[in-house]
Amino acid sequence: MRRAMVVAAVIALGALSGARADETERAGRWQEIAWPFPRDGWPAGRAFRCIADGCDGAELYIRAKRGFCNCDTGVADDDEVDRVTDLDLISPRFVPAAPGHLIGVAAMQGRIRHYGLDMPDGARHAATGLALSRRCDLLVAVAQGPGEANAVQSAALAFLETEEMKQWMAAALDGR
Amino acid sequence: MFRRVLTAAGLVLFACSTAAYAQKQTIGAPPEASNMKLVGTNDLQARSAYQPTIHHQGDRWIAYIGHHGGTDDAPAPVNPMTGQAEPNGTSIVDVTDPARPKYLRHLPGQEGKYESGGAQMVRICDGKTLPKGDPNAVYMLRTFGSEAHEIWNVTDPASPVLIARIAGLKDTHKSWWECDTGIAFLVSGAPDWRTRRMTQVYDLSDPAHPQKIRDFGLPGQEPGSTGAVPTELHGPISTGPNGNRVYFGYGTNKGGILQIVDREKLLTGPMEPTPDNLRFPEIARMPMSAFNGAHTTFPMLDMPVAEFAEDKDGKTRDIVMIVDEAILNECGEARQMVWFADVTTETRPMMISSYTVPEASGQFCQRGGRFGSHSSNESMAPVYYKKMAFIAFFNAGVRALDIRDPYHPKEVGYFVPAITSATDKRCIPVEGGERCKVAIQTNNVETDDRGYIYIVDRANTGLHILELTGPARAVAGLPRN
Repeated sequence: MRRAMVVAAVIALGALSGARADETERAGRWQEIAWPFPRDGWPAGRAFRCIADGCDGAELYIRAKRGFCNCDTGVADDDEVDRVTDLDLISPRFVPAAPGHLIGVAAMQGRIRHYGLDMPDGARHAATGLALSRRCDLLVAVAQGPGEANAVQSAALAFLETEEMKQWMAAALDGR
Repeated sequence: MFRRVLTAAGLVLFACSTAAYAQKQTIGAPPEASNMKLVGTNDLQARSAYQPTIHHQGDRWIAYIGHHGGTDDAPAPVNPMTGQAEPNGTSIVDVTDPARPKYLRHLPGQEGKYESGGAQMVRICDGKTLPKGDPNAVYMLRTFGSEAHEIWNVTDPASPVLIARIAGLKDTHKSWWECDTGIAFLVSGAPDWRTRRMTQVYDLSDPAHPQKIRDFGLPGQEPGSTGAVPTELHGPISTGPNGNRVYFGYGTNKGGILQIVDREKLLTGPMEPTPDNLRFPEIARMPMSAFNGAHTTFPMLDMPVAEFAEDKDGKTRDIVMIVDEAILNECGEARQMVWFADVTTETRPMMISSYTVPEASGQFCQRGGRFGSHSSNESMAPVYYKKMAFIAFFNAGVRALDIRDPYHPKEVGYFVPAITSATDKRCIPVEGGERCKVAIQTNNVETDDRGYIYIVDRANTGLHILELTGPARAVAGLPRN
């Protein structure tokens, strides 16, 4: 009986670690880099560069923006995604590729939208803007790079769902 | 030796307890005041209050006070006059005798809590002043939550009658109404614009029949544009056809912009909201620090500055006072304060001075709620105009400034009301939950032609009517009391 329990435990642990490995694989490998933007009205966030197949070279910028007046409506529409995500820090010239849609990440609800981004060097990048709300505060993220937009978005969202990032986002929204 | 240690320990304890006392407001404690004193109060049915406008109506003085939405605990407080639960809207109070304000009517607003719902903004014009108004009537322009602007006939302030509505909006805020022309600069969220708040210019000279003139905003906010979206409008103030300027304040607590606009070009220029047409009436735009917004942009033109009296040029200056709005509780953001811009050379406006309440004077970051500026009085009545300004400073109450030399504004008085059992808590997130404190949140302020100062509280403490005392009266040229 005891041997059976030990075997079951080993199998369960194996399954768990396998799930974690799957999560890591989906999240890709994101290496933290310095926040690349000059100081503005919001405290700096965190920036990452993908170093895995599928999203190699893409960058992800995440930060909390605390203190909005519309505390009950959440992220109301695509215009709000255009306004609050940090696309304009990368380039003031961005064009939505399609209407956005609702999304939930780390127990927060918001909207996500794809954009075409004219980079200062003339290159055209695909970008994904994400805005999530927690009462009067927002968590915004932008993923951008020369790669395929859906692959970059998928890797970025998986990364945001990792425990480490969920904890950091909660702390950032608390002002910690 | 032991006695010395005990004494030192006692002193430390005393210092600590004094500091703790200074930080915390308690029910029943007296207000904190300097050169200002309380004349009268009204609890405004414990509704979160925003903009007060005081109107001399016949032989009476009537205060019209806009409200934010309700709270989690009381989304629609009961109106004791009707016995009904009513979403926060507009309070109408007879303040003819400021020592005994008489609550006349609560006019419900849009359902909603905090910044959603309510009826925050209110302006009043006499029909005899409006070009096509009923000369016997008095009109109130108010917002209805985020969805509409409304015009009411408030000739009998206890029995207002709705006469017009401009609806279908996604937001509203602090509008401006010229009583002598009827032109209104309405802060609206037109559904197709990319910003939550922009300007809709209306002719309300006949209040029963609003006529739209145009939409206006910063290039990048208009429908169909792409790329970065400039920060949203907070409120305009016009100097009318004589001054021919409209001062627009954009941003709340971040990335503020003062925009100076030629009123005539705005009203008669090309109306289609293209980037070129939106730029056409603009004279200048002064970006502020990313840390600060522009809640109120209050013009004070042609101010004589005593220090410059002997100068060959520049003896008088055109000044705009810019008031930021603090948003986050317990100093969770950069300090929001008051700025003075010299706009005499209009195309090159320059910030010349600033004012804030010293935090250490009341340990305001520890008291709870917001600390920082929010709004100023907007009355241009001679009693205080270009001499004194009153600033609502949330948990630091109202601050009276001597602005006769706008290059060196000086605080000459203050009043921090006592909290009451109605004062609502203010919370901040802490790990695993919230921590709440109760403190006064003086939100808005207005003055009347008699010199009374009206402050209202965002945290439901109501209306306090004040007057100046001591040397502060001399600044305004008021007789000693």
